[in-house]
Amino acid sequence: MKSGKLINNRFLKSGSGSFTTSVMAFLLAIIVGGILIEIAGFSSLATYGAIFRGSLGSTKGIVLSLSQATPLLLTGLSFAIAFRVRIINTGAEGQVYIGAMAAALVGAYVNFLPGITHVAVSVLVGMIAGGMVGLFIGFLKIKFGASEVIVGIMLNEILILITAWLSTGPLMTPGSATAQTNPILETARLGRLVPRSQLTWALVLAVIIAFYLEWMIRKTTLGYEIQVIGSNLKAAKTAGINVPKIYLLTIFISGAIAGLGGAALSLGIHYRFIEGISTGFGFAGIPVAALAMYSPAGVVVSSFLFGALRAGAMTLNRTTSIPIEFVSVVQALVVVFVAAPMLIASIKKNLMKPFNGIRNKRESIKGGDA
Amino acid sequence: MGDWANILYVVVVSTIRMSVPMILASVGAAFSVRAGIMALGCEGMMIAGAFFAVMGSFFTGSPWMGILFGITFGIIFSLLHGVLNIRYKVNQTLSGMSVNLLAAAVAPLILQIIWKSKGISPKVESFKKLDIGFLEEIPILGSILAEQNILFYVTLILVVVGYYYMFKTPQGLRMRMVGENPVAANTVGINVVGYKYLGVMLSGAFNGLAGAYLSLAQLDMYIDGMTAGRGYIAMVISTFGKNSPIGAMLGSLFFGFFDALQTIFQGGVIPSQIVRTLPYVLTMLVVVFGLKSARNPAGMGKHHDE
Amino acid sequence: MDMLQMKNISKSFPGTKALDSVDFYLKEQEILSLLGENGAGKTTLMKVLYGMLHPDTGEIYYKGEQIHQKSPLDAINKGICMVHQHFMLVPAFTVMDNIIVGNEPKSGLFVDEKKAREEVKALISRFNFNINPDTRVEKLSVGEQQRVEILKALYRKADVIILDEPTAVLTPHEVDSLFVILRKLKEEGKSIVIITHKLRETMAIADRINVLRDGRMIETDIDPKNATIHSLSEMMVGRQVALGIKRPAKNIGGVAFKVEHLKVVEDGVVKIKGIDFSIRRGEILGIAGIEGNGQTQLLESLTGLNTPVSMKITLDGKEIKGSADKFLRSGIGHIPEDRLTMGLATEMTIRDNLILGYHKSPSLQKNGILSSKKINDYSNKCREDFNIKTPSIDVKAKSLSGGNQQKIVIARTFSHNPDVIIAAHPTRGVDVGAMEYIHSKLLDLRDEGKAVLLISADLDEVRSLSDRILVLYEGKIVSESMPGDLSEVQLGLLMTGNKIDEEVKDEIREID
Repeated sequence: MKSGKLINNRFLKSGSGSFTTSVMAFLLAIIVGGILIEIAGFSSLATYGAIFRGSLGSTKGIVLSLSQATPLLLTGLSFAIAFRVRIINTGAEGQVYIGAMAAALVGAYVNFLPGITHVAVSVLVGMIAGGMVGLFIGFLKIKFGASEVIVGIMLNEILILITAWLSTGPLMTPGSATAQTNPILETARLGRLVPRSQLTWALVLAVIIAFYLEWMIRKTTLGYEIQVIGSNLKAAKTAGINVPKIYLLTIFISGAIAGLGGAALSLGIHYRFIEGISTGFGFAGIPVAALAMYSPAGVVVSSFLFGALRAGAMTLNRTTSIPIEFVSVVQALVVVFVAAPMLIASIKKNLMKPFNGIRNKRESIKGGDA
Repeated sequence: MGDWANILYVVVVSTIRMSVPMILASVGAAFSVRAGIMALGCEGMMIAGAFFAVMGSFFTGSPWMGILFGITFGIIFSLLHGVLNIRYKVNQTLSGMSVNLLAAAVAPLILQIIWKSKGISPKVESFKKLDIGFLEEIPILGSILAEQNILFYVTLILVVVGYYYMFKTPQGLRMRMVGENPVAANTVGINVVGYKYLGVMLSGAFNGLAGAYLSLAQLDMYIDGMTAGRGYIAMVISTFGKNSPIGAMLGSLFFGFFDALQTIFQGGVIPSQIVRTLPYVLTMLVVVFGLKSARNPAGMGKHHDE
Repeated sequence: MDMLQMKNISKSFPGTKALDSVDFYLKEQEILSLLGENGAGKTTLMKVLYGMLHPDTGEIYYKGEQIHQKSPLDAINKGICMVHQHFMLVPAFTVMDNIIVGNEPKSGLFVDEKKAREEVKALISRFNFNINPDTRVEKLSVGEQQRVEILKALYRKADVIILDEPTAVLTPHEVDSLFVILRKLKEEGKSIVIITHKLRETMAIADRINVLRDGRMIETDIDPKNATIHSLSEMMVGRQVALGIKRPAKNIGGVAFKVEHLKVVEDGVVKIKGIDFSIRRGEILGIAGIEGNGQTQLLESLTGLNTPVSMKITLDGKEIKGSADKFLRSGIGHIPEDRLTMGLATEMTIRDNLILGYHKSPSLQKNGILSSKKINDYSNKCREDFNIKTPSIDVKAKSLSGGNQQKIVIARTFSHNPDVIIAAHPTRGVDVGAMEYIHSKLLDLRDEGKAVLLISADLDEVRSLSDRILVLYEGKIVSESMPGDLSEVQLGLLMTGNKIDEEVKDEIREID
């Protein structure tokens, strides 16, 4: 597992909160999910067991987990990096769509580029498209004080509609029954890591980006400025940090990564743009980022966790198990629990009470060395 | 009636129909904001309202029970936002988004479990046009009113009641103070936490009702995604309308007008998807250019013990 | 009979004992002054009385009966009201709404606005407060806002009124008006407690003085007629306090920092009306003034944080303009007015905060990549040289005391060898020990030949550190003097826009 070496406490302390909070939040969400499963009339142990086996119990499962994790990793990184400067990029979904469309168009219509270059350029265009949308949102925020939360969501709807129109109208594959654009050329295809799976090189690219971002935040002046802005905006300004510039840069990166998520879909999986290409990946990045405490390296781990959860749920028997939609509920619960460190702290305190009682007793018998 | 008059008539009727859920939602948002809590969870509360209203109507056969369910679950989801924010001091945007995410995830799940359906519920008993008897004879106004259902009148009453509650009663004054300066409110013995919960729960009730209107009055079923960002738009309308029920109503009519235009232009020269972007583009324009003079309470996001 | 008795009150917070077995009593119809330094426990004691805090031990007796204060509502219902240091008002509401909220007269389900207005107007005229109940509070002056706060207490028929640092934000003239009001309230039978650390005012208004220090009641029953400024301040601090100029400058050189034609407009209001001044090498120029007279705008202009309508700043002849970053690079060090909001990222470590503003310096990074080793060495040196008391530099800045936090700001500013230091309220909220340390470091810097600008609302600080004193009033420099030229009273008059050919004869005030 690529993320194996990251189980290091200090490494994962970032943004706000700590590793323990993340773990507890995830466990709590799983537990509540289990309760939901029971209420729905199924066995939570059996369900989770099956999920575990389906996702991690076989090579096929792991591959499925990784491929499910990939889009989450990208939208998770997108949300996380923006949140480090306290920008809430709700517009990721729209950026995914525009990235997917832009990449698919370059992939389909640019026919003079050789293999690798074609892929690279298509990916790049997808990223730039997403980045430009992000930049637009950032510009509105800086120049007009417009809330990026609202603008992002409005743009999501607008971009989804526009790309839908394009794929059912002018750019539609002639004679096609479904809304889709022309297939991309062979040269633009993003290669599969494992044949007959949905696991593509996008994963590798995403992980590289994640580690680069983590390093950038910790070790560079740009990353330092991002941290300060996220911690105390006014102090950042007083210290001479060029806040608008950093905002724009960060939201561009955020949009570009989301755009990459879209490009990965159209270049790696569907080989064209189709209507409804993203099933909420943009928003699904929020729980992923939150669980990772908005640390890029942490997002690698949390996206895998959620990816595995999804993969396992996909293999559940439709008739005898809870529907796959419950994964979204667990994800949403993660956001709830992660967002409330105090809630976790009070749960922790209550859990530890019986243990503290025993410990005190033991110490008084020992004579105690307090 | 002439062709233009016909179009005008359709526009007015549509405007009112499209505005009702927005009025309810933005009045709800106004209460939340007045108590100092950002109304970001409106979308989720609306989804909950829309979905559970259908469930209520399905199991009891009565749309009124559906309304009750819708309001109740709107309140339940609002409590999530409330508890996270008031008791656990969570960042308001995050707690709001988590409500939205949760509601958006719960509805399809239950849809699947109960009705084995991916995104659409069965048809249920809904609200039909209200027979207003002789009032229908009033020229123009009569025919417009005849197209509305009872919830329209309920909404009007709620707006007036809401206005008086917010601005003319002691509770309204105290809630507004809680939103402006919770620390100060605490020093004069006002139950800050109580009023914040009240504000949030009112927004849950109103948004739940708004959602129920969508699924039981505008349609007669629940469809995944039917709220289509209206909760967020309601937030903007509320600020645009100075967080007052009357302002919210006027703002909603304004938006409803453009929303109505979009249904009229469908099937015309401009592609339907492009026309459907109109409300969102309008909202963006308002957010960018129109909120200059709008002022949210000074104590937004603050607690009484800071 | 004693109006109020607090016996054996103790209150601890994690890490500190705020009140230690404090006894306190208040008589009918008296004005009692509760004196003490910042952090002595005065506000904590009153918060216990007012029901905002619950004591760990002790009892409270009011009019002979024991009471248990669970919340401010209990206090208000008993007739104990508190006027807080930071006003508890809603700027967007009218005077009337601010006064009645929480105790609204009702008519059915609604607020009886007519009755409210009548009652409020009656109170206003009875005490000659001269305020219009329908004005929005945000349009009132500070003194007027304080009167609204007092009206709140009167409206609730308070018998005991506690005022927390009431004169901190008032001009001397407004202080006089307040004292007139307080004396009238006493005549009407009220008992008044004034929490303060201002010695002169205490002696002017109080019938009786208590001194609180480090959570302990040191002295009760002091008669102001028998007290002196020195005796009181010794009791407050616990040792001899040196009042007076600390260290005159030895080596004042040529002009280093020159400010010309500075004009700042904010929200359509002219905040700085065209001022010029200069600072020499080896000199501390102090600017005295009451907050709100343009200090913030002046500070922003001198540190690149705003865009003045006109300004010319030269440092050693070279003009400086541009962003805050540019100013820092040019050798202008900045100790911000408010370290928590402007100077520190409290959730980040001390080490991180030590490089704030200087993180792009070639001594700490190369090609955009920070050098851990250099930052380490630098941080440890700062910690040593500036006596920052902390177990480690990797703890969050928020875990330090105010004084140590301020030392972080000073350490980083001084370590980068600026030519000019702009120090704004450098010892605000800092304990006495740290304050003396910071003052000595500022003087050291001055003696090294730097130019220092000191802007402070603490007149004592300005008078004891400055080599030259300017007074800022409503955006203009209204006076320039050498230390000792003008008395505190005269400076106070200038700070409020008066000319100083008015004679003010008041023995208590002419202490120096």
